[in-house]
Amino acid sequence: MTKWFPGTLALDDVDLVVERGTIHGLVGENGAGKSTLLKILAGDYRPTAGRIEIEGHEVEVSTPRRAHELGIGIVYQELSLLTNLSVAHNISLGSEPSTSLAVDERRLAEIASRALARMGVTTIDPAQKVGKIPLAERQLVEIARVLTLRQPRILIFDEPTAALGQADVDRLFRIMQALRDDGIGIIFVSHRYREVLRICDRATVMRNGRVVGEVERGETSVEHLVELTLGQKAAAAFHRTWRAGGELEPLLELRGLHVGVRVRGVDLVVRRGEIVSVCGLLGSGQNELARAVAGDVHDVSGEILVKGRAVAARSPREALGHGIALITENRQEEGLFPDMRVRANISVSSLGRVVVSPLLRVIDARKERRIASAVAQRTGIAPRALSRHIRVLSGGNQQKSLLARWLMRCAEVLVLIEPTRGVDVGAKLEIYRELEQLAQAGAGILVVSTDIPETMAVSDRIVVLHQGRVAGVLDPRSSAEQDVLLAMQGGSARAPEAVG
Amino acid sequence: MSAEATTIEARVSTDRALMVDRIRHLAETLGIIAIAGALVLAFGLTSSHFLDSANVRNIFVQISVVGVAAIGETLVMLAGGLDLSVGSVVLLSEVICADLTATHHLPLSVALIAALAAAGGIGALNGVLVAVVGIEPILATLGTLLVAAGLAKLILGLRYLQVDHPIFTDLAVTNVLFNLPIMVAVMLGLYLVVAFTMRATPFGRAVYAIGGNRRAARLSGLSLVGITMGVYVIAGVLAGVAGFLNVAQIGLVSQNDGMGMEFQAIIAALVGGLSVTSGGVGRVERTLLGALMVGMMTNYQTIKGIDPPFQQAFLGGLLLAAVVADRALRGRQ
Repeated sequence: MTKWFPGTLALDDVDLVVERGTIHGLVGENGAGKSTLLKILAGDYRPTAGRIEIEGHEVEVSTPRRAHELGIGIVYQELSLLTNLSVAHNISLGSEPSTSLAVDERRLAEIASRALARMGVTTIDPAQKVGKIPLAERQLVEIARVLTLRQPRILIFDEPTAALGQADVDRLFRIMQALRDDGIGIIFVSHRYREVLRICDRATVMRNGRVVGEVERGETSVEHLVELTLGQKAAAAFHRTWRAGGELEPLLELRGLHVGVRVRGVDLVVRRGEIVSVCGLLGSGQNELARAVAGDVHDVSGEILVKGRAVAARSPREALGHGIALITENRQEEGLFPDMRVRANISVSSLGRVVVSPLLRVIDARKERRIASAVAQRTGIAPRALSRHIRVLSGGNQQKSLLARWLMRCAEVLVLIEPTRGVDVGAKLEIYRELEQLAQAGAGILVVSTDIPETMAVSDRIVVLHQGRVAGVLDPRSSAEQDVLLAMQGGSARAPEAVG
Repeated sequence: MSAEATTIEARVSTDRALMVDRIRHLAETLGIIAIAGALVLAFGLTSSHFLDSANVRNIFVQISVVGVAAIGETLVMLAGGLDLSVGSVVLLSEVICADLTATHHLPLSVALIAALAAAGGIGALNGVLVAVVGIEPILATLGTLLVAAGLAKLILGLRYLQVDHPIFTDLAVTNVLFNLPIMVAVMLGLYLVVAFTMRATPFGRAVYAIGGNRRAARLSGLSLVGITMGVYVIAGVLAGVAGFLNVAQIGLVSQNDGMGMEFQAIIAALVGGLSVTSGGVGRVERTLLGALMVGMMTNYQTIKGIDPPFQQAFLGGLLLAAVVADRALRGRQ
């Protein structure tokens, strides 16, 4: 199967065989060709050569509708729900049940409830607008949507766990296993190799548009998968090489922070040179906390201090004035200017630095080029990428561009929500390294993440939230992942080595 | 070893993708110039008068009013908004200017300043309604359209006001560039200044950023209120200036002046290749090309004696063609 794009060969003679009743992993870095392959299966793209067979019959997946008829359902990585419509409408989108005159609202609600119930989801109200429910629950709606296909034969999950907390991942896996046992072939695309090893019967590894390996369950390890995807010896583990020591100046302090009903009295300190992680199950208040610090939400009470001075930022603009910058989990909608070039995406928050003079507010293109190139180099963005539109970059490079934006702005307090979501292994490592360097350069970094190994590797301290309160403060050097997990469930007392 | 090979391959593909990106960009720009060129050629070949210097002058004079109004409209649309009040503001500016000079015998400078202040004031009101109150631009500016038109008609009553100040006569008559009058030069000058502003100033960048992604713009620390206010005020003031040019061209102010001009401005922007759906993509200078194309079509049809209703339908067709072309180009990505 070959697919030509102008400029790049996206897929080069790829064979993929998915058996009935199996979960088949598909792994590879961003740009390895996974998405292209999926789009061909979904009927979005036509292959330039090669064929697709289902149960021995050659088929042509010419349109997305045809894919649906063939029983191919796909849960995309980019959320594709219509936020203005209800959950129920989204679930039946394109195949709404109708009476002779109009959409059959009762059947619609019924279908939605049944699909959600099949997944064991009871917390989502089908009548609710999708825009009103949290991002992670939207992912569940997305999955419910493909479950309504008339006769699903092949279900493709494109990074379905990226936005999910651990409990939701477990639930999803139970659903996937149940579907597999029903005889459905499942393709599971994920950057989380542990999950692939846990759930998949077999996995195909892609690199640069080619299949570079097929591995069976039980015959492989995370290290092996990393080695295959990267094509080099395991860079899997990230090790901190520098940590701040001695008396550290508190850069960011939270005292009795409340945000609506989600965050209920949190104390927290981030010192200069520290990376502090905030963990919690989905909806434990960690995202609201991060957004409150960055001035992005209202209904905040309690104290936020930067370098000992109380700040009450009512907008991200004000927070930035105090040196607080935010990168959210929703890169496409809240981070990128897709139609602007990478360089302009980096400099957009620091245009004051590149004008000719404070009086003559004209951008000095040479100055902009110089400073943007310098910060881009630090974050590992290829110089020639700077002139491209940011929308054509991989997720990892897009995220690096956002880091570069705040590096150029000289933000002292950096708040990141799920900083490596949808980012390939190689870029993840570079992002971790960059966070460490930023800390070393004197920044204070607050990371919100549901990826526990990530927080263990990256942070100096892990603050675990449970139902909006601090359930534990752990030192990753002397704690195990289980300690964090336990605290996330609200179970454990404070670890004895607790710091901060 | 294999890692090395990977790096080199990646670089080759980045190079090519960059080239493709550039070629497409060039094609978009050249495309509209080519279409404009084709129109000139086709009209010139099929009408013996079309390329007469007097007729070319005519076309430029005819588009200068809409052309100036369209600059502001383009800015608003680039920022992701829409301004329906443009035509009414043109009328309001004309009426204030004419009433103060003709009825109250105030000096022209005072009248011009008052008219611009009123035009900018409507723009500021638009800005407040959209950015602070949070009303959809189409609704907010529909409201101010009526307010401004009502205000203007209140002042004007059923009169026709004549304005025969020598400065206005000069604007329309005295030639400065080739054989184009001052008002055309004013329009071209404004395009130059605004195009430069959009390209090379933090304000211009911010307009594109806000139009491209509001949420991201907010989190990037841009002042949504400030920039949004800015584009609506500029649109108001430029509509005011367009009003002056209209007075200069006609010499008479009447109730129907400026009517529907917002649509002509929007059409010029869209024909010039502004992205319809979202904002954040497009160039001010291309709106000038759009205005020129619309102006040429109207002029050609008038020469050929085509009735105005048909002209209107043609214009609609041109607009739809532009929108479809935009879809096709952007859909490919």
